[in-house]
Amino acid sequence: MRALVDIRESLNIAVSAIWANKARGVLTTLGIVIGIVAVTTTMTAFNGMQSAFRQSAAAVGADVVYVSRMPWIIMGNWWEFRNRPNLNMDEAEALREAFEGEAIVNPTMDTRQDLKYRSEIMEGVTVIGTTEKLPIVTSRLPETGRFLMTYDVSYKKNVVVIGTTVAEGLFGTTSPINKEMNIGPAKFRVIGVMEKQGGNTFGGPDFDRQVFIPISTYVKVYGGRHFGDVDIAVKAPSPDAVEDLEYEVIGEMRKIRKLRPAEDNDFSINKLDSLMGAFNSVVGVVLLVGLLVTSIALFVGGIGVMNIMFVSVTERTREIGIRKAIGARRHSILLQFLLESAIICLIGGLIGIGLATLVTFGINASGMMPASVSPGILVTSVVIAMVVGVFAGFVPAWKGARLDPIEALRYE
Amino acid sequence: MAAVLAPPDDEPVLQLEDVVKTYVMGSEEIHALSGVSVSIEENEYVAIMGPSGSGKSTLMNIIGCLDVPTSGRYSLGGEMVDDKSEAELADIRNRMIGFIFQTFNLIPRADILHNVELPLIYGGVGRAERKARAMSALDRVGLANRVSHKPNELSGGQRQRVAIARALVFDPQIILADEPTGNLDSRTGAEIMQMLDELHANGQTIIIVTHEDDIAAHASRSILLRDGKIETDTINPNPVRSAAAGG
Repeated sequence: MRALVDIRESLNIAVSAIWANKARGVLTTLGIVIGIVAVTTTMTAFNGMQSAFRQSAAAVGADVVYVSRMPWIIMGNWWEFRNRPNLNMDEAEALREAFEGEAIVNPTMDTRQDLKYRSEIMEGVTVIGTTEKLPIVTSRLPETGRFLMTYDVSYKKNVVVIGTTVAEGLFGTTSPINKEMNIGPAKFRVIGVMEKQGGNTFGGPDFDRQVFIPISTYVKVYGGRHFGDVDIAVKAPSPDAVEDLEYEVIGEMRKIRKLRPAEDNDFSINKLDSLMGAFNSVVGVVLLVGLLVTSIALFVGGIGVMNIMFVSVTERTREIGIRKAIGARRHSILLQFLLESAIICLIGGLIGIGLATLVTFGINASGMMPASVSPGILVTSVVIAMVVGVFAGFVPAWKGARLDPIEALRYE
Repeated sequence: MAAVLAPPDDEPVLQLEDVVKTYVMGSEEIHALSGVSVSIEENEYVAIMGPSGSGKSTLMNIIGCLDVPTSGRYSLGGEMVDDKSEAELADIRNRMIGFIFQTFNLIPRADILHNVELPLIYGGVGRAERKARAMSALDRVGLANRVSHKPNELSGGQRQRVAIARALVFDPQIILADEPTGNLDSRTGAEIMQMLDELHANGQTIIIVTHEDDIAAHASRSILLRDGKIETDTINPNPVRSAAAGG
């Protein structure tokens, strides 16, 4: 009961003290506001990068091993990889035969071509030659129409499945299905539109600005059966089997390439893991910078609050004396000033998360990456603000609580 | 009316035995009180007098439990207070002592009712009872119609009456008034003194610290301090009573 009455009175005093000094309070919160914007934006950016990465990761597939000429993330000397031979369709075919009945093997080749439908032109769109197995490997499916089928590949059909950006760019609001369009020199019939993937992450591929055609047609139109740069995806029967599959793929590829035991691999194995490493180092830098900015802002903000709390305690020395004379204990005075400081910071925190939400909308609108403010982030930010308030307020509040009532009553 | 928690009849409300207070200022020791012994009975009306530097402020601070003696014993309401912790002293000030100051010492931002409620708040009294007791105390000083005013909207005399209501609200053992009329004109001062006289008539123990003889003349006993010692302790057989209603 007594504690409750005490807390209510302290809250009362704190609120009326802040209300009496509104302008000062607002200025004081500025540092906290900046700090909280930094905290919230850092966490939001972190979330955004993670969800962007998850999208890419889903497209790559956690249970898929990719055989390519180059590693995705080149660590070390690029020149070592430069003289490697391309992977070609014969090697892809040999690998498919080797894993027949064990794992799904899907070759892809890609190039950039200009697309044209009537007067609409899109330049430099990624054209991917692949097989009907792509949806199994990457779990990307068509939204409307259908994906490539076995006979499209077998009969080298001039059919194409397009990404959403391409559909909007060339066809606008009309349905692209069964329309004839030009991809470079050849005509293709649209048979499907892929699901929207969204998010062009850190200069990675824009999955919505791609078109898919049968790899056989690709070779027929753009050439490269014996020297084209093929990427081969091998999907493990389960995510646990990826490790074993990787060794088997290396073994088979060395056989196909007839490498002697002393020779290094002249191809690369890529997996989600290798992307993960790169992602983590980027995220690490962002987090580090964010954390640094945040701590500096909150520190400076906290010092500002501490300063104003010293002023507040000094201004109310006499009031403290009166309260003590009529029976306030130390902890009542301490609580009064701690609450004042915590509330100032709480207000700063609320303004801060408001601004951060706007910043997040800005990031989203700019299309740099998907950013979203979650309730968890907001609550965390507000809690951080109040913790800063309590820390910043403690020394001034302690000073007030320790005042000698006789001295304090004499203070003018 | 005054529901003072009376100690047993033979025990004084307040008793100081050989109280010494020494301050150290730089290398110098200052003996503010050097051996003061006094006991005050229930419903006494005592004036503590003395020139500045006589130690009367120090004595008042010790009696008011704002300070503790360097040596000697002090009991209030039958309880020894010289070895209490700071929190216990706060509780004693809260419940046993009603302060009235020369400068009123009201909280400027709080309204009158809240000012009077404050001791009850720190004493943990619930809202409804708090409000009722504060209202009744304000009623006693004739300010029940001003409860929502802020102190700066009242005259000096009214402010001091609010302070008296605040001092009374917890039914303290003693009222300790430090130059209660020092900041008031003589007419308003007389009104305040009349109010203290009435409280005394209703059974309240009152201690007034003053240097004015005509204020001390209201008391039935007058203690004169000089150089940290009691010089005289005299009974005033005919205390002045203000011409109440006429004044």
